[in-house]
Amino acid sequence: MRFFGEVWRWFGDPTHWQGPDGIPTRIAEHIHLSAESLAVAAVIALPAGIVLGHYGRFGGLAINISNAGRALPSFGILVVAFQVFGLGDLPVVLALVALAVPPMVTNSYVALREVDADIREAARGMGYRELAQVLRVELPLAVPLIMGGVRTSAVQVVATATLGAAIAGGGLGRYIIDGIATQDYVKTAAGAVLVALLAFATEVGLAGVQRLLVPRGLRLLNAPAAARTTTFKVA
Amino acid sequence: MNTRRASLWLVGALAAISVIAAACGSAPGVGPTTKGKITVGGFKFPESSILAQIYGQALAHAGYDVTYKLNIGQREIVAPALKNGDIDLYAGYTASDLEFWNNKAKEASGDPVAETAKLNSHLDSQGLVALDPSKAQDQNAFAVTKAIQQQYNLTKMSDLAPIGDKLVLGAGSECPTRPFCLPGLQQTYGIHFKAFKALDTDGPLTRAAFKNGTIQVGLVFSADADLDSLGLVVLDDDKHLQNADNVVPVLRKQVASDDVKAILNKVSAGLSTADLVALNAKVSLDHQDPDAVAKAYLESHNYFS
Repeated sequence: MRFFGEVWRWFGDPTHWQGPDGIPTRIAEHIHLSAESLAVAAVIALPAGIVLGHYGRFGGLAINISNAGRALPSFGILVVAFQVFGLGDLPVVLALVALAVPPMVTNSYVALREVDADIREAARGMGYRELAQVLRVELPLAVPLIMGGVRTSAVQVVATATLGAAIAGGGLGRYIIDGIATQDYVKTAAGAVLVALLAFATEVGLAGVQRLLVPRGLRLLNAPAAARTTTFKVA
Repeated sequence: MNTRRASLWLVGALAAISVIAAACGSAPGVGPTTKGKITVGGFKFPESSILAQIYGQALAHAGYDVTYKLNIGQREIVAPALKNGDIDLYAGYTASDLEFWNNKAKEASGDPVAETAKLNSHLDSQGLVALDPSKAQDQNAFAVTKAIQQQYNLTKMSDLAPIGDKLVLGAGSECPTRPFCLPGLQQTYGIHFKAFKALDTDGPLTRAAFKNGTIQVGLVFSADADLDSLGLVVLDDDKHLQNADNVVPVLRKQVASDDVKAILNKVSAGLSTADLVALNAKVSLDHQDPDAVAKAYLESHNYFS
């Protein structure tokens, strides 16, 4: 119990909240690194998953290839990439991208596959061209599943970005690595708590984003009947 | 029927395992009967692995059953391992070990023998003992890139004081808490760096950081063989921040019999700083394994004859 008290006091020390090794700086570095990696992964994974899901082809192949990324240990990628590219953010970003791609490919592929065939047909019958059909009919319906993949990836990336400190990077992993190096286990524990809190905040934040992206019709579909009737205000 | 076949398999497998186990068990018995078990530990840098192998192989040759736990970490992890008996021996350094075991009381000096005497006064109550210090020294030193050295015309550490705020220092995570490192540079030399970058102690991260310009000043070991080929220059420690860091074996009293002491002291007495540089070169430049390098050293210095 005394240990937890010390961790609590560590957070209370104002010197830990300022300067280049302060909590705000480390959190900013951590978010920067995670966001960068997630963005790169999303640019690769989401279009691939969406296109393949729409046509329903090569899905197994894409999922298998991206799952290979899941099988590669992040630390292994980090060490090899460090040997090749040297110090900097790039090795960390590569390791995190490999981690973040698979859930997003799989989920967006499945999400597009799961769109009701009747709805696709109805869209075509109403005269939607293919692109419009994807963008205005299929994608909105697929948002909940796609965002599920993004959330999974984001939480994993935030948790794993701590590895960056192993090759002299910044972020919250610094507290963990430096704490171990100097046997300051209070610092290590505080770093672990911060990572957990940040991962949790990421999950909650993206759940909020998902709420904004899901079309109203889809939300009403899952709402109780009473809520549905009251919202039909405008004709 | 099925269960009987299964049990036959089991008996067969057990028999095979016991044969293998017996073979393994009897193998050391072929040599001289073992005088006792000794576990040699090492810090997480190549030189420590080499020294551990040299001391360890000398003991093994004398008939001890030696096992190795190398690359454990830094002193904060290795020292408790020695105290707990996870390891029995490590190759320490007089000043660094003194300042560790005396809780940074600043007793280290330029005299390795005096340092070892003081070290033993702190080790005694812990059931540990340091033997005779070797002549071989490997100090902590600060190096700069040749480009920086020429640009500011640097030769000694005090030259860094006026330009410290333009330079980034790189060293292991423990540097900001070690008196010979960041606090010492500030108090003794008045150097205030622009930033500190937590890397490793003279390892691959430090080299990579020098290479891509992340740091301009870095902590290195003076007996490193590859500093020159990396384009690094060690600055003269003109205000003597670093103390005499001579190689010294630190071990548990339980294993420190007169025989063990004699073997280790003989190895320490034969080791010179030039040997250390040459040994480090074989590992860091020629990529040989520390155990092979140690074996070759002992053979060429007639320890095995």
